[in-house]
Amino acid sequence: MPVITLYRERFSKFLGRDVTVEDMAKTLPWIGFDIEERGEDYLKVEFNPNRIDLCSYAGVARAYKGFTEWEVGLPKYEAKEPKATLTIDKAVADVRPFMLAAIVRDIRLDDEAVAELMEMQEDLHWGIGRDRKKASIGIHNLDVINPPFTYTAVKPESVKFVPLGKTEEMTPKEILEKHEKGVAYRHLVDWAPRYPLLVDRDGQVLSMPPIINGELTRVTADTRNLFLDITGPSYDAVEKSLKVLATALADMGGTLEKVIVKYPDRTVTSPSLEPERMRLRVKYANRLLGLRLNDDEAARCLMKCRLGAEKIGNGLLEASIPPYRIDILHEIDLVEEVAIGYGYYRLEPTMPKAVTVGEKHPVYAFADKVRQLMIGLGFMEVMNFTLTNERIHYDYMLVKPKNPVRIANPVSLEYTIVRQTLLPCLMRNLAENKHESYPQRIFEVSDVARINRRLETMVERRLHVAAVTCHSTANYTEVKAYCEALLANLSVEGWHVREAKHPSFLSGRTSTIAYRNRPIGIIGEINPQVLNNFQIENPAAAFEIDLEPLIRIKSQ
Amino acid sequence: MLGELRINDRKTLVALKELGGRASVEDIARKSGLAHSAVMRSALVLSSEEIVMIHERKHLAASLNSEGKGYAEMGLPERRIVRCLLKLGGEADIGRLAEEAKMDPEIVPIALGWLKSKGWAEIKGKRCILTLNCEPPKGVDEELLELINEKGKVVVDELSPELKRALEVIKKRKLVEVEETVHRELELTAKGWNLVNKGIKIVEEVTQLTPELIISGKWRSVKLTRFDVKASAPVVYPGKEHPLQQIIKRAREIFLEMGFTEIRGPIVETAFWNFDALFQPQDHPAREMADTFYMANPRIGRLPGRKIVDGVAMVHENGWITGSKGWGYRWSSEEAMKLVLRTHTTAETIKYLATHKRPPIKVFSVDRVYRNEQVTYKNIAEFHQIEGIVVDKKVTLRDLMGTLKTFYKKFGLEKIEFWPSYFPYTEPSAQAMVFHPKLNRWIELCGMGMFRPEVLAPMGIKCPVLAWGGGLERLAMIELGLNDIRLLYANNLGWLRRTPLCQ
Repeated sequence: MPVITLYRERFSKFLGRDVTVEDMAKTLPWIGFDIEERGEDYLKVEFNPNRIDLCSYAGVARAYKGFTEWEVGLPKYEAKEPKATLTIDKAVADVRPFMLAAIVRDIRLDDEAVAELMEMQEDLHWGIGRDRKKASIGIHNLDVINPPFTYTAVKPESVKFVPLGKTEEMTPKEILEKHEKGVAYRHLVDWAPRYPLLVDRDGQVLSMPPIINGELTRVTADTRNLFLDITGPSYDAVEKSLKVLATALADMGGTLEKVIVKYPDRTVTSPSLEPERMRLRVKYANRLLGLRLNDDEAARCLMKCRLGAEKIGNGLLEASIPPYRIDILHEIDLVEEVAIGYGYYRLEPTMPKAVTVGEKHPVYAFADKVRQLMIGLGFMEVMNFTLTNERIHYDYMLVKPKNPVRIANPVSLEYTIVRQTLLPCLMRNLAENKHESYPQRIFEVSDVARINRRLETMVERRLHVAAVTCHSTANYTEVKAYCEALLANLSVEGWHVREAKHPSFLSGRTSTIAYRNRPIGIIGEINPQVLNNFQIENPAAAFEIDLEPLIRIKSQ
Repeated sequence: MLGELRINDRKTLVALKELGGRASVEDIARKSGLAHSAVMRSALVLSSEEIVMIHERKHLAASLNSEGKGYAEMGLPERRIVRCLLKLGGEADIGRLAEEAKMDPEIVPIALGWLKSKGWAEIKGKRCILTLNCEPPKGVDEELLELINEKGKVVVDELSPELKRALEVIKKRKLVEVEETVHRELELTAKGWNLVNKGIKIVEEVTQLTPELIISGKWRSVKLTRFDVKASAPVVYPGKEHPLQQIIKRAREIFLEMGFTEIRGPIVETAFWNFDALFQPQDHPAREMADTFYMANPRIGRLPGRKIVDGVAMVHENGWITGSKGWGYRWSSEEAMKLVLRTHTTAETIKYLATHKRPPIKVFSVDRVYRNEQVTYKNIAEFHQIEGIVVDKKVTLRDLMGTLKTFYKKFGLEKIEFWPSYFPYTEPSAQAMVFHPKLNRWIELCGMGMFRPEVLAPMGIKCPVLAWGGGLERLAMIELGLNDIRLLYANNLGWLRRTPLCQ
């Protein structure tokens, strides 16, 4: 989740009045912030990824002023009539087709503001741009360049310019190969014959979207006028990014000015800051929230969330949504605004009226019984991850891999497959508890997975029980006694054991449990080679049973 | 007083009296037939009653090591060589001699050295010639060896000066070990004399009742040993539910008490149910490989019926009939068919609601979910989610808050607040926060909200749906006072055995 650190003093300036860290900590959670860290003079807060407009001091201050009712309703944003023109060359259509732009004049920046701009840019790249895939941003010093601007695409070695943070000229090809940002984002353009480039009247390079800006237009604390460019393959994402960025810069004291953007087939002026309108049925909000607000009260709630709200009769409100609120998709989103404006802390908890009767799931009801019996037999329950690896699951157990359910993107070599049996996990538990006193008797009742192509998910989840006893005189007879006690008490009838061979167990001391002539489990003394593999020093005997066939019968 | 003495105390006193009122523990043990340790235990009891006094004296005691014991029994190596020489006529090859004496070749040079220095024989080249014509008399060193061997341990100070010198010799030959030991003697006090002079009766006691004693009725005539009821008993461990399972069980019980029905679904799920059906756009960051485990084998699953799939597709693309704007992209069924390890149990909930639409519905699960996380003290890749759902015609956000408040109150968490939050599939959304007094801050218990119209419409659900889901392990860590989440799955037997069932 995105994070912003709010220093009290600077934040107070944006609010236009002094607040304490305590005030901030008390208020911000009710607008939707999580408090991550609290310092003497700052608060580090997390905001929700849908509210990317809260990535700046200006954005937080807007919301804060509304909630405290210091300033309510729709914030007005105006942009001056356009003077500059941006031409979109048709060459970009195949690589990164859309660009929108805006100009910000007379802004006063300081080092903190410049740092904040960089952070906002990164938050937008992540939040809307999806790591620059859908949209990316360039912020330039307008005073060193001259309109009209052209967004075009060029051959990888046809131009040279100094990328941001470097001193030498490089070609776009060199940037993709050598520049750190080039290496990180080359996948977004390197498949195209021509790479996107933004130039001014004199051919000076502003940026090579979405990779890097030119050093020429670097923004510093002395920069007074800005040119904003947003490019991307998603017009929607480009437009949203620009709205959030432009309104934040306006709130930081800049004057917005539109830019004429000429596409080969149409011309638009950008940014468009018209509030969007959406209707809210007050009754709908009341029904979902469990409130009885009248139209005025509901409107007030919306205004506290910096929305415009007009009563239009019949219990309807017309909400005006500021351009930066890109998260509002549906009337239901306005319902939440009403709740936030009303104050979550004022919502008195109530209980649903419906009378229902609860019931355990038959599988878990059965698992509970198995657990109770195993504990009664003196076994300690263990809980292992269902994820494991082939070395422990197969190699150590001397078993050949049997088409395991496998993860495509494991995060470590420890966890690469979903287990098919429980026993290897229990063996590992024994191996890791050698310092504990013996006898050790442990069991697990839990999930294993196996492939079953008849199912929608292709994988079947099955409930197993496994138990192992380990001490100096552990043997087959002991564990068979436990296994029989378990089955007898689950009133399983018609089962018997047959001598069997299994590489994990000692031959002549291994049997399968057959139930209605189908094998459902195994009992045996662990093969000493398996014990050696796990470096277990005491004899061990174990059983494992697939409980699914038993559950089906029981719950019929 | 005497009535309370146990049999061993009585036996000790009788032996002590017979030994004249003062004797060493060893002597008392021999006399009474008790084990040394039993006499010591009695001595402690009797001295605390001021019946006897314990005198302790530290001294050096010598005992034989295994080599010394061997020599004490077989004779010193030089003695054995002399015997062989005599048998072989007074002169022999050294090799032949060693063979005859059946002696370890390594010891032979040592034996020869001692033969020479004791003046029993001479060595000329490879031959050994006896200088005596009969077996030499027993030396002091040999006497000492025999003495120690016989007694097991001798007190150094009690040896004659001659033997003391011999001790130095065999000490150098590394046949004895000399260590400090404590010699204890018991002496009857005046009170003790008084007691024993009155006479002490010894009745055999029975330690363990037997079926024979019970059936025959003999238990009436025997005396049962009084136990030291405070003595430590062996440690045993009960079989128990895993502490995490205990918390799962409690959560399930609370749900059942509140009238919820338990549901269960697969752990490998299609992205469709895990994400798409919950209105999570296909380019949502949570769907990336860095957050979600995708399957390599098997890779894809099957989608449900056309009606549901089309509804979901359209709701993503343009909002469909819901009045929503949708996400404005082209929905891909291939992406939805990918199999994942489910990242939340909400996948099961929505699937359940697709086929169970008659309100009221109250269902829950406390079940396994996965996230593609590096395992650290804070994160694990596999954990449990508590999930609850209420569907009814007139349920409200306040009802959701009330349900949760009741749920967590039953868990003992009273101070709960609901803060606004965000989830792609709920609106309004909130998070339940609990104040953690130890950490002195609010921590998130669970996420909650009402399912969005974009989620409900494709499933044909007409009522509002209250939903919440939260991590179980976080709750468990608060309950169990853990700082490292991995401990919950480490199965450290010591921790399992010693964590009380009732916290």
